[in-house]
Amino acid sequence: MKNTAIGAAALSLLLAACGADPAPGPTEQIVVREPGQAPKQAAAEPATDDAPAGDIIATGKEAFAVCSACHAVEADAPAGPGPTLYGVVGRKAASVDGFGFSEALKASGIVWNDAELDAYIADPAAKVPGTTMAAGAVGDAEQRKAIIAYLKTLAG
Amino acid sequence: MSEAAETEKPKKKGKWTRRAFIGAGVLAGGALVVGVAVRPGNPTDEMKKRLAKGEGEELINAWVKIAADNKVTAIVPHVEMGQGSQSTLAQMLADEMDADWEKVEMLESPATARYASGAIGREFLAPTLEVPKILEPTVEGSFLKIADMMDLQITGGSFSIRGTGQRDMRTAGAAARQMLIAAAAEEWGVPAEEITTARSMLSHKASGKSATYGEFAAAAAAQSLPVRPKRKAVGEFKLMGKPMPRKDIPSKVDGTAIFGIDAKVEGMKYAAVKAPPVVGSTVEKIDANAAKTMPGVLQILNMGDFVAVIADGYWQAQQALGKVQATYSKSEGQSLDQDAIFKRYSDALDEAGSDGGDTEISEGDAVEAFAGAAKKVTAEYKVPFLAHATMEPMNCTVSVKDGKCEVWIGTQAPLRIRRAVAESLGLGEDDVTLNNAFLGGGFGRRSEVDHAIMAARLAKAAGYPVKLIWSREEDTAQDFYRPSSTSRFEAGLDEKGRVVSWNNIHTHLFDPQEAPTVPYYAIPNQLVRKVDVPMHLRFGPWRSVDHSQQAWFIESFVDEVAEAAGKDPLVLRRELLEGSPRHLAVLNKAAKMAGWGSEMPGGHGRGIALVPSFGSIVAEVAEVDMTGEKPKVSKVFCCADVGFAMNPDAVKAQMESAIVYGMTAALYGEITIKDGAVQQSNFHDYQMLRMNEMPEVEVALINGDAERLGGAGEPGLPPVAPAVTNAIFAATGKRVRELPLSKMNWA
Repeated sequence: MKNTAIGAAALSLLLAACGADPAPGPTEQIVVREPGQAPKQAAAEPATDDAPAGDIIATGKEAFAVCSACHAVEADAPAGPGPTLYGVVGRKAASVDGFGFSEALKASGIVWNDAELDAYIADPAAKVPGTTMAAGAVGDAEQRKAIIAYLKTLAG
Repeated sequence: MSEAAETEKPKKKGKWTRRAFIGAGVLAGGALVVGVAVRPGNPTDEMKKRLAKGEGEELINAWVKIAADNKVTAIVPHVEMGQGSQSTLAQMLADEMDADWEKVEMLESPATARYASGAIGREFLAPTLEVPKILEPTVEGSFLKIADMMDLQITGGSFSIRGTGQRDMRTAGAAARQMLIAAAAEEWGVPAEEITTARSMLSHKASGKSATYGEFAAAAAAQSLPVRPKRKAVGEFKLMGKPMPRKDIPSKVDGTAIFGIDAKVEGMKYAAVKAPPVVGSTVEKIDANAAKTMPGVLQILNMGDFVAVIADGYWQAQQALGKVQATYSKSEGQSLDQDAIFKRYSDALDEAGSDGGDTEISEGDAVEAFAGAAKKVTAEYKVPFLAHATMEPMNCTVSVKDGKCEVWIGTQAPLRIRRAVAESLGLGEDDVTLNNAFLGGGFGRRSEVDHAIMAARLAKAAGYPVKLIWSREEDTAQDFYRPSSTSRFEAGLDEKGRVVSWNNIHTHLFDPQEAPTVPYYAIPNQLVRKVDVPMHLRFGPWRSVDHSQQAWFIESFVDEVAEAAGKDPLVLRRELLEGSPRHLAVLNKAAKMAGWGSEMPGGHGRGIALVPSFGSIVAEVAEVDMTGEKPKVSKVFCCADVGFAMNPDAVKAQMESAIVYGMTAALYGEITIKDGAVQQSNFHDYQMLRMNEMPEVEVALINGDAERLGGAGEPGLPPVAPAVTNAIFAATGKRVRELPLSKMNWA
């Protein structure tokens, strides 16, 4: 009984799908340009920021792109895979409200200063075994230094 | 000798009968085609052209190709989405034909109806139909037809190994071997019975003659077809049942594996799309002024049912799409909120009462038995909508040119995609060529066709090849969701604590249903009903389909019944499974692995669940630690009886991955609706199980019936949620009646 019913339902679906008209084209189509055609405005903008070369904060901000996949930098940003890093320097570890920190980080007793941040960013799992920060280790010491310099700017 | 055979026109010795479809295959024009070639007018020559391309290659049959260099190619009609069945199918074929595993390669069959699978049609349409042997050919033939009509060259339903493998690959392998032997016997002038085969070699001991399969490939194709080739008994298996390394793994490790999203087509441009947040709405107006000046932008389109931007690069398309302002039409669904959905469910269930709704199972009189029961147990459970969250987001690349179309995609349903694209473009199906790549996760989501139709329409409108990639946000908000559901139970116990009645009603949104119609506990009076609740959202199969909800309902309630009866949950299950030895063996094994009954520290608990699904039986025991802020699943012990594990390593991997996927859903999975739209958008609000939350998993396999295989991709999933929540009860005394666990306050 039951099987017949299921079969019939499946077949009726099938029949309904038969003989469909082609799907509609666009109701509005704005062609900005054809492929290969040069853009009207020069698209070649300088790749770098207008910050002077050697500016450690600008370097840090650029290097932070990797971190930004998980971390926001605004004070009231919603939590992503990682907590917001607004005001992180000088803060106690695992102290952002509303983020589900690992037990390990909560128990770490760390207060984020240059040295602690440097060690953590270098290898999170080695610094705090059990942390949920599984990605984002930065091997390059210069880059870490720049990132930390940038993090310091993230405060009111 | 292969040279001589090449010039010789293959003779047509085989004769097709209905019966031969079941047996092995067809011989026509030198090609042997298995199963689906039974229909009259099947263009086997075209098949031969498409599959046997190399110099000196001869197509032995649709499932196996033997080249002159002795390389064996298993042509498998199922896709690779992480589950590894292509490799296991090749293993089954290679074993039956005594091929050298080192020389076996795999090729996914092209998307043509010749590979449509009758077995899956039968599975969906009449899974429990018992067919007398004599009628089998006819019945299979008719299911084949239905499968063909429904475009079922599908990978799903945990069916590849137990259906295609057991029925087609093994038969094809055995037939190929038999034909190679016949060809050698003819050439050498010795009796076929005296020829032995091993590692892709034919040998005749008495005369000392030997040759490779490759040398006889062409001659074998001219041999008549064995109607019922003899397949190996379990004791003769050389590759089947062995943990062979999967052939797809190296390419996934070294990065050379090609997924749908890797498609590269000359001149292609990238499209990003956004559909109205509420399903059923249309795009009324777009303001593209800001988007027009964005870098890389080629076109901005209002397609009516979605907005698209085509650009030189994907990121450019996505960025510009974010600047397009769109207004959407009002639609029926937009007033619906999450609470109202569950209110609809409870209203529908209230109205059905104790005996209303559509009856799925009725044995004895559950209502009367409940009325007279010494003890009564009732409970209500709720589960949420779930998204598939495949790692690779939906994508499809399409080129439309001169009335022909080519599609690059990773799909579970190549034929369905081909037909959908053809229809959406107003082309014939033969004008559409489909190239299927690996799937970065399927879970049922990739059996749908929506994204391919979008890509086809965009490519047609643009006039050049378009690669459409959905953003993660689009992927999360425009899924075909696993339905949410509410389920109510009533059970009666007699004075001795025996279960005398079982009455269940649950809401129902999406076909097909299997779980509630498979009662596995022996209870004298059973009534199982469903009540349909229409909704504007789109629903689809989600790994283990309705077992994902029903198993949690049933296995939670059995635990509650055990508690009411004053019995250990394992003991009650054993009583209810007395007449089912395979189920019992699986249950007992899982309990033994976990050391069921042994002491646990305070705040820790153990829970058990057993679920038969997709022809397999799986029991799992979960251990939880409730001493922290939220539940921590520390261990899962799993015992599975899939009939016969063709590749035990692959089966174990499937159990493990199903446990991860099931735990993700149990702990975090929840799609909610506000004003008719999905509220979640990405992994921050639709969380996956994390590495540090992964329990230790131990899997044991039982080969309970080598003749009737079960599936492996899905059956590991259903037991994990109830095992975890039953463990939470054991640890805390708190009964979980709503998922996910992240909703509950554990303080």
